Amino acid sequence: MNTPGIRPAVAPHKRRSSRSQPAQKRDYGLVILAAPAVILLLVFAYGPMAGLIVAFQDFNIADGVFASPWAGLENFRFFFTSGDATRIMRNTLLLNVLFLSATLAVGVMLALMLNEIRGKVTKRFFQSVIFVPYFVSPIVVSIFLQAFLAGPGGRGGLINDAAGLFGIPSVTWYTEPGPWPWILTLVKVWQLGGYMSVIFLAAITAIPEEVYEAGEIDGASRAQMAWRITTPLLKPTAAILLVLGVGRIFYGDFATIYAIVGDNGTLFPTTDVIDTYVFRALRTRGDFGVTAAIGLVQSVVGFVLVVVATMVQRRYAKETSIL
Amino acid sequence: MTATVERTAPVTKVRPPSRRKSRRLEPFTIASYAGVICFGLVCAIPFWMVVAGSLTAESALSQRGYSFWPAPFSLDAYTTLFQGTRVWLSYGATIFITGIGTAIALAATSGIAWVIARGLRRVSRPLAVFAYIPMLFNGGLVPMYILITQILQLQNSWFAVILPLVIAPFLVFVQVSFFRATPQEILDAARIDGAGELRIFFQVVLPLSTPVIAVIALFYAVTFWNEWFHALLFLSQPEKFPLQLVLQNLISSVTNAAELGTTSAAPVYQMRLAMTVITIGPILLAYPFAQRYFVKGLTLGATKG
Repeated sequence: MNTPGIRPAVAPHKRRSSRSQPAQKRDYGLVILAAPAVILLLVFAYGPMAGLIVAFQDFNIADGVFASPWAGLENFRFFFTSGDATRIMRNTLLLNVLFLSATLAVGVMLALMLNEIRGKVTKRFFQSVIFVPYFVSPIVVSIFLQAFLAGPGGRGGLINDAAGLFGIPSVTWYTEPGPWPWILTLVKVWQLGGYMSVIFLAAITAIPEEVYEAGEIDGASRAQMAWRITTPLLKPTAAILLVLGVGRIFYGDFATIYAIVGDNGTLFPTTDVIDTYVFRALRTRGDFGVTAAIGLVQSVVGFVLVVVATMVQRRYAKETSIL
Repeated sequence: MTATVERTAPVTKVRPPSRRKSRRLEPFTIASYAGVICFGLVCAIPFWMVVAGSLTAESALSQRGYSFWPAPFSLDAYTTLFQGTRVWLSYGATIFITGIGTAIALAATSGIAWVIARGLRRVSRPLAVFAYIPMLFNGGLVPMYILITQILQLQNSWFAVILPLVIAPFLVFVQVSFFRATPQEILDAARIDGAGELRIFFQVVLPLSTPVIAVIALFYAVTFWNEWFHALLFLSQPEKFPLQLVLQNLISSVTNAAELGTTSAAPVYQMRLAMTVITIGPILLAYPFAQRYFVKGLTLGATKG
């Protein structure tokens, strides 16, 4: 989930008064408030980071994390020489780039179009309708997709039925790896388009009215205003979403991809991503060390990408930077 | 959603009429209506297909495939599903996971968000960084698996599904940015009246924060309601499966469908669709209730100005 304008910790203005109030007595209230989250984060977010030590071990369940023998970089070597590495890394990158660019583009477009809709009730109605797919689980998405691509018992599906009307031969989608990057991208757009558009719409409403008045005086058409005024002003928001997205670029969208593709090996050439690969490797081979090593590579590369993206963004759009 | 419009409504009034009243309908506006309607249809049609399919008799479904209108109409799938015990059990599981999960998540997230938003020197910023790092870097699947199964021994517990998802750093920051807008004067007044930090938080801050709480609760509830991955990993007793996992099993094998009903000749395809409807239903119903707050709560990008 990502949204613009996250600025942790920086609140130099306004906050001073909470400091200027001299502490009357020791108040542990804030400690009590923060404690649950801190403990949960320590255990469930930072704990697994420490657990990455497994990547350097020849892990086995019997000995556990603390007593398994060390393996040095063997796990990493195994992964990079297995031949799967390039395929799943390529798929992960390609799919994420497609997802990110498509959802951002559609989000901006939808926001611009929603912005043209006059009636408050109408507008809200459409916002609700296009937001709804966001609430649906990947499993349900996969059912929808099957209805369109396979039909009951794999006999046709709506797309093939429709294509049949125009004399286009039907395709057994679930055995054709080729179109899947695009199918998955459409699924992502369907699911996130509305969500993204709402974020951009929030940014549009923050644009001062005078800008548009000026445009109107200059005789700009609605299309020109959308393209020349609104779109450029959405850049900061898009930049934040982009940076957050880039940080996730090495994480396949596991839940969606696995729910849709599952263990359908014929689609792996184009759909197998790091996360699904790790999951399968773990389930079928129980190879903790290697899979943890892949996870570590993934996290480190992701982290580096975020740092680079943030630096680039700071350079070009300083006012919107995250930290 | 029209975030700032709502929030700043008293001051600026929704978009002055100058821009609203365009003299004539321009091509771009027409194209926009068309585009939005098309996208809206694309969003809505799958839902309709599934509802219609779930009400279509199995025979018609397997012969003719999906249609936009349920004919012949049949409630077989729903009666079969609700006669079995599995659906009720999985509903219970999902409600437990969603209810308890959302409650814990809200408490923990609100608490840390307020401490970050308080802007205390030497506390708030490090805490923000502490909450932000997991957004960038995480241990991944394997260490989580080891943690849950080996160290915490939570397999086959619903808490194995709940706890890893209970803090979404992103939502912490959504809430922080809302809390920051709490008027300082009210806090000072409460302080002068001798209220402690806890009292201020529960009796002053929270009541003022309904919109963001509604939004966060909705997001968490959706996450928990839709969760199946952790359930797949950590739950092995079928009677503990939440709805999504039951649905997933239903897709992956026909025999699972037979188990759900009381008869062996269960309407498999129709049941898949009916189960889908049952699974989406409640979360879609929750949305309209949260939506009016939604608009005010998700103001992140817009509050800056």
